[in-house]
Amino acid sequence: MSLDPASRARFNLERAAVMLLDDTPMGMSILVQIVTGLGAKTLYRCASVEQAQQVATSYELDLAIVDGMAPSGAGYDFVRWMRTEAKEPNCYTPVLITTAHTPASDVARARDCGGHIIIKKPIAPKVMLERILWVAKEGRPFLFSGSYVGPDRRFRNDGPPDGIGRRREDHMVDAGEAPADEEAASDARAAS
Amino acid sequence: MSTVRFVFPKVRLTEILKTPGGLTVAEALERAQTNLEEIRPTCIADLTALLEYAEAGLEQLPEPADDAGLADLYAIAVRGIGAGAVCGVPAVDEALTSLCDLIDHLRTRGRFDHEAVAVHVRAWRLLMNPDLPDGGAEPVLDGLRKVTSRYAGPEPA
Repeated sequence: MSLDPASRARFNLERAAVMLLDDTPMGMSILVQIVTGLGAKTLYRCASVEQAQQVATSYELDLAIVDGMAPSGAGYDFVRWMRTEAKEPNCYTPVLITTAHTPASDVARARDCGGHIIIKKPIAPKVMLERILWVAKEGRPFLFSGSYVGPDRRFRNDGPPDGIGRRREDHMVDAGEAPADEEAASDARAAS
Repeated sequence: MSTVRFVFPKVRLTEILKTPGGLTVAEALERAQTNLEEIRPTCIADLTALLEYAEAGLEQLPEPADDAGLADLYAIAVRGIGAGAVCGVPAVDEALTSLCDLIDHLRTRGRFDHEAVAVHVRAWRLLMNPDLPDGGAEPVLDGLRKVTSRYAGPEPA
């Protein structure tokens, strides 16, 4: 994911509608300076979850940068709301979660709320740009599975772990050939 | 058994990033850094105000501290993380992260260590000095990490 800071490669954020959610004026100010520096022009600045819900209901968003808002963790709840309650296309909008600190009790909530990636503060402009480019990559599926709704967070598909193979094949290797009848099966169980 | 459904949404951001114009990576990063330097004085003032709140909060903390007092200190410290780098005192971010870790461990275990918290707040004040000699912050941060690590991990039986 590392980006060459001297790269002459071009990108254009001018037409992107970006929502920022941070309940601290200083955190918001830092985010605004970074994102405008990277070229974004349409920013929706939200200092509360209520404002953010209003924005997500009223405008089409291309990117959301949401602070976890420790200690309450309300930012995570907002992301979950966005995934489950917001209308298309915003329910699929790429979401970067920023966090200053995640209490141990909130780790699962942060992981499972449906954000694309979590960025630890302090945030360097280079890191922010790398993450924006990463979440914009095409072809990342969204997963609806029980209590989780959000992007598939697997970075790559390596197949089954080395040396294990597929489960059906594992069974055949471990168990050997199936016993011919119930008596033989009983013998095999007794011998094991 | 729960069912799993995959959807492949079209990401408009992908197309937007490819539109002609825009900035080179180098230009964008330079602009963002310049922007951050412009807000440095405001950030220093805000971070100093937070430090003063933390010092006052520490002074008022009862012995042994109640959970609410620790929660208040946590809320102050966590708001400062990220500003240190912008203010030119990046070690402050690390000290505040260590303080948040410490308070989180203490609250999880129902413990309190006034001196462990106090040394973090004093270090915060010290590390706000941008004229610390090269390498001056590292021993302080090492010490803070050691203090915090005492309360990390499972409670000894």
